Amino acid sequence: MSTIVALSTPRGRGALAVIRLSGPDAIAIARQMSGVDELEPRHATLVTLRGPNGDELDQVLLTCFNAPHSLTGEDVVEISCHGSPAIVRSIIDTTLELGAVLAGPGQFTLRALSNGKINLAQAEAIRDLIAAQTEAAVKQASRQLNGELSNALGPFKEKLLDVIVLLESALEFVEEDIPAPRANEIDNDLAVVSEGVEKLARSYSAGRLLQEGVRVTITGRPNVGKSSLFNVLIERERAIVTDIPGTTRDTLTEAIDLDGIPVILTDTAGLRETTDGIETLGIERTRRAMSDSDLVLVVLDGSEEVGPSDRELIDQTENIRRLVVINKSDLPGSNVPASCVEELRPINVSARTGEGLSTLRAAILASVSSNGVDEGGLLITNARHYDLLCSTQRELEVARAAFRERHSEELVLVPLHNALKFLGQITGETTTEDILSEIFATFCIGK
Amino acid sequence: MSFDETFDVIVIGAGHAGCEAASAAARLGAETGLITLNLDLVGQMSCNPAIGGIAKGHLVREIDALGGIMGRVIDRTGIQFRLLNRSRGPAVQSPRAQADRMRYRAEMRRTLEATSNLHLRQGKVVDFVLDHGTLAGVVLEDGRRFGAGAVVVATGTFLNGLIHTGRRTYSGGRAGEPASIELSETLKRLGFPVGRLKTGTPPRLDGRTVDWSAFEPQPGDETPVPFSFSTDNIEQKQIQCYIGYTTPEVHDAIRENIAESPLYSGKIKGIGPRYCPSIEDKVVKFSDKSRHQLFLEPEGHDTNEVYLNGFSTSLPAEMQQDLVRMIPGLEEARVIRPGYAIEYDFVDPRELGPDLQTSRLPGLFHAGQINGTTGYEEAACQGLLAGINAALYTQKRESLRLRRDESYIGVLVEDLIKQGVDEPYRIFTSRAEYRLALRYDNADDRLERYGRGLGLVGDSDWDRFNARQSRLAKIRVALETVRLRRTDAQHAAVSALIGNDLGDSISLEQLSKRPKVTAALIMSLLPAELKPIAEADLNSVLADSLYAGYLDTQKAAIAKLYQHDTLKIPRHMTFRNIAGLSNEIVERLDRAQPLTFGEARRLPGLTPGALSTLLAFLSAQQKTA
Repeated sequence: MSTIVALSTPRGRGALAVIRLSGPDAIAIARQMSGVDELEPRHATLVTLRGPNGDELDQVLLTCFNAPHSLTGEDVVEISCHGSPAIVRSIIDTTLELGAVLAGPGQFTLRALSNGKINLAQAEAIRDLIAAQTEAAVKQASRQLNGELSNALGPFKEKLLDVIVLLESALEFVEEDIPAPRANEIDNDLAVVSEGVEKLARSYSAGRLLQEGVRVTITGRPNVGKSSLFNVLIERERAIVTDIPGTTRDTLTEAIDLDGIPVILTDTAGLRETTDGIETLGIERTRRAMSDSDLVLVVLDGSEEVGPSDRELIDQTENIRRLVVINKSDLPGSNVPASCVEELRPINVSARTGEGLSTLRAAILASVSSNGVDEGGLLITNARHYDLLCSTQRELEVARAAFRERHSEELVLVPLHNALKFLGQITGETTTEDILSEIFATFCIGK
Repeated sequence: MSFDETFDVIVIGAGHAGCEAASAAARLGAETGLITLNLDLVGQMSCNPAIGGIAKGHLVREIDALGGIMGRVIDRTGIQFRLLNRSRGPAVQSPRAQADRMRYRAEMRRTLEATSNLHLRQGKVVDFVLDHGTLAGVVLEDGRRFGAGAVVVATGTFLNGLIHTGRRTYSGGRAGEPASIELSETLKRLGFPVGRLKTGTPPRLDGRTVDWSAFEPQPGDETPVPFSFSTDNIEQKQIQCYIGYTTPEVHDAIRENIAESPLYSGKIKGIGPRYCPSIEDKVVKFSDKSRHQLFLEPEGHDTNEVYLNGFSTSLPAEMQQDLVRMIPGLEEARVIRPGYAIEYDFVDPRELGPDLQTSRLPGLFHAGQINGTTGYEEAACQGLLAGINAALYTQKRESLRLRRDESYIGVLVEDLIKQGVDEPYRIFTSRAEYRLALRYDNADDRLERYGRGLGLVGDSDWDRFNARQSRLAKIRVALETVRLRRTDAQHAAVSALIGNDLGDSISLEQLSKRPKVTAALIMSLLPAELKPIAEADLNSVLADSLYAGYLDTQKAAIAKLYQHDTLKIPRHMTFRNIAGLSNEIVERLDRAQPLTFGEARRLPGLTPGALSTLLAFLSAQQKTA
């Protein structure tokens, strides 16, 4: 078993960097480099680290954790050093010379997994936690880390197993004196499991948004004030520096934290005016941006009449999730929207004065969580889980249909076993032995 | 090396495993010596005088398809036949038959004595003969030495057998028969890991003292379904069995005296099967049940003896007599033989390869209860496989291995050698993932060609098989090509029956999948030139069609879930080198030596975390390779 080492904080300059060691030699290496023999576990000790030549590397805070009471279940040492890349490099190099090896990606998590400190769902949550962009996403990932997903699925798995036990017993122990399973009870149980799994799966759309960010596009003809609106939304909120894939030069994109929900705001500014006033190219780009979006803000100029290009935009966005925003509410005559727009329940704002912005923000948030899932509930944020839950639910529906049509048990059991296997990929497998044990615990069988 | 007699293959034990092994080896051309403690008890049924049942019936059929003998013997001696699960799908239908116990023995012996190259010998094997570490033969208690290139151990419950009745304990392999102690010591000396299991048997009653009118009769089927493909009809006179129940008084009496039961006093160390519990177990674990079912099974036409199924016990003999008399209908009943519990040694089946040969001593094969299984059919199929492979081994030919996706025998063998046993292993349909594909009626499709290839399936059987195959093919073609058109006379009637319009033209194959469409209806729509068609043949083709869709979705799900199964694990891989695997898991992997990720995944005790680690390691290896 090797001792691994890695930088645990992002690269680059910063005030602090954290280096972690995990493995049988971790504490020995810490002693060697610090010159201190007695290192009190879980106690941050101020020590001076020295290189192999004895030259001073840095003054650091060093904390040791004895197995199994550590992140990975092995001996772990955490070094908080000054955040200079040169210092970090020299410290890591020294550990390498003393026998550590550079950790591969995710290797600390892998060791924690193998040593049973966390289960698979939790391991994925850690990954999500690191990637989480906002506090709400962090909260979600933390919940998963605490085994909440496995717990939520637990009762459904049990119920599914109960049904399987009943049906298997009916077909295998046909000569035994066991009560025949009641059809409506089985149907009910399967319905409960199917609906429960489906509800969890449905939460994925909100969960995904939470993890990846809601893509909001601001559209509107030139001069309605899109850019001002964009700027004021960005300005008001705390910006997150991140890499947004897929942006084009014709759009401006910025990520903001809107009450815990990451919002990726795209402004379709910079669309050129052609001589005949109709920006066919612009509309094409807009259409593309809109199709990538989760929410479209259609911005109108409140101080002017609703024009043909306005109307075209409104028509185009009829079937998409959208909010109609009437800008320039600070100008006279703007608060009376044209009749054709009124039924769209527009939001009146002024990018210049800030009026109506809180209403707009609330409306954006409301549209995201309008999936019938309350924000307090558990959200599936992982595409793999979503896929497995969907597969589970599909199989359950096949089983229900087969059962209702009074097909022989071995046919109903095929999709039920498939469903159990899919669920098991999240929570852990149920073996044939488990099922047999359950059968014999339930029924008195045997001549 | 001097021997009193020399054979190619020696089979130790003439129970269900031993008889199959000896018969197969001999018919494969090996000079075979079958050694047994008592030649009068060849083919003895130790407890329930019955063959078959759910999944067990499937095994018998597979044995028959491969060229084994159990199916033929029971067909000639069965006295009550029932096809179980008639109301359910064809994949889970399976026959069961009560046997005339004495006639079964006689028929088995007759079959063996009519087999060329097969030599019956009475005697007790106490040791092996090793020639510089190589298996060379066996030593008998009376001093005789028999030479052989391969030995099949099929000793059943006789290895260090210990019988318990109440507080009395005595050595025995079966009531009235001596145990085999020295052979067990030999195996231990050779280093085989030996464990202890137990089983039990109920009392037998004098049928003249039973009040039959108090019991519910259970007749056999009007037209018995045979086990063997070669049997056209069951000729023997059939009997009925009878169903009865215990009462709360009986349960109370048992509970009051539970200390007298060695199973509960802690005297017995071995682990028993969950699905063959003693009446003490039933009464203690399921105390809320006011009655437990019993079956009275007459043991044959030439005897009064009745087997009291469901009342397995090791309570003192005199107590058994009193308890039995508390059962309604048995107030005057006399116990001829008391029930008892028996503990015996078994050898860890993980010592075996898929050919049932031990890796520790080449040429040595283990079959039957010695591997930790329970049941005659489970024993017989192992005996068949071991006998075949013992003969092939001496002939230096490639061994026969059966896969779990093509046979229940494959499921059983793989479960045993990969997972070992914690308790006596019995076959269930739920042990087979491909239950829908492993039907009673298609055992010949799956296995007959192996039997023929080996030479175990004779010409008449092979001709019969081929004739059936071509009949099935004709029916299949007919189902696909014959269409029910709107212009046909029956179209309206059939549409009305289903409650849906069938469209302008529907093939019979598609029609067969609609609800309410029976085999009889399809039969009536088939063209006259194809008839007469055997109902069994049509049912087989319809079953294929019925299950095809489900098998496909099952395969798709499994492919999706287990897409990494084919990832190869290098031979003699040092699992210790994989960072992050616990010692326990490294041990399991070292022991099992899986060759693919799929095999590793199926090992017990491999946590999802460990599997992820292994998978990550193998995937990374693959990338760098």
